[in-house]
Amino acid sequence: MTLLQACEWLGSSWLGTSIRTSRFGFAVIEMAHLLALALFGATLLIPALHSFGVIFKGSPPGAIARDLRTARLASLGVMIVSGILLFADGPLRYYGNAAFRVKLLLIAAAVLTGSLSRFMGEAKFAALLPLTLWLSAGVAGRVIGVL
Amino acid sequence: MTFVQLACQWLADTAIGTRIRESDNLFSVIETVHVLGIIVIAGTIAIVDLRILGVLLTRLSIDAVLAPLVKIAWLGFAVMASSGLLLFWSEADKLYSNPAFRLKMLLLLVAGANQWAFHWSHDSRMPAGNAPNTVPRWARFAAALSLLLWTGIIVLGRAIAYL
Repeated sequence: MTLLQACEWLGSSWLGTSIRTSRFGFAVIEMAHLLALALFGATLLIPALHSFGVIFKGSPPGAIARDLRTARLASLGVMIVSGILLFADGPLRYYGNAAFRVKLLLIAAAVLTGSLSRFMGEAKFAALLPLTLWLSAGVAGRVIGVL
Repeated sequence: MTFVQLACQWLADTAIGTRIRESDNLFSVIETVHVLGIIVIAGTIAIVDLRILGVLLTRLSIDAVLAPLVKIAWLGFAVMASSGLLLFWSEADKLYSNPAFRLKMLLLLVAGANQWAFHWSHDSRMPAGNAPNTVPRWARFAAALSLLLWTGIIVLGRAIAYL
């Protein structure tokens, strides 16, 4: 099964059909996606500012990132699930969308650098790279609707 | 037509309003900045609220979390409000009668009042230290209300486009 066929299957599956035919389904999932995004953004921004010495100067390096880990992973989980549901609404609409493809690559890179960041020596760089990648993924997400 | 309605119509018809509305990408670009501003203000406020409710960052005292994050929230507010003003400028006539927009503005005012009331009470009678059971009930109530209000603000902001 090719990627295109998988998209066609998802779109015509029970899941895709239910979201597409529902009156408020897409809008409600979009709202959940945005709500999780707000929390997720803060759980990235606050540790980044901490590693740059802007806030929580009394806390040891990496402590704030660890404290917010559960909130970060939970909000990311909601974004992934809601994102897949939004995609299922019309997979073929996104399949050929360049911004959507770039966004997926940026998310993959952000998750990878984010999960590896604890092994990177320089705390500032380790915080900045995933933050920049997530920011770019967010902008790419907005462009999906414009293309 | 009421005076406010006329003012909104005039605003949308100004050169700046027309320019934003008729540009290919300007509205989307400002909207993206607006969402980023909302992420910063709503996200940091949510973290403060969750700290007051004892969900996260409990290693630090409420005051230690409150002071730096309120500053970041204000930064987010500046970005959200200035970009929001530009978005309103370009669609003032339509937004005037949009129920989601009206309710969103109302919730923003209530959220502001709630924050103000919290700080006013906080400065006069918040106990020091970070023991979870010393957080007074009014502070927990304000935090839960704030979470609800900001959820409503984000939901209604998205709903504007659907109404």
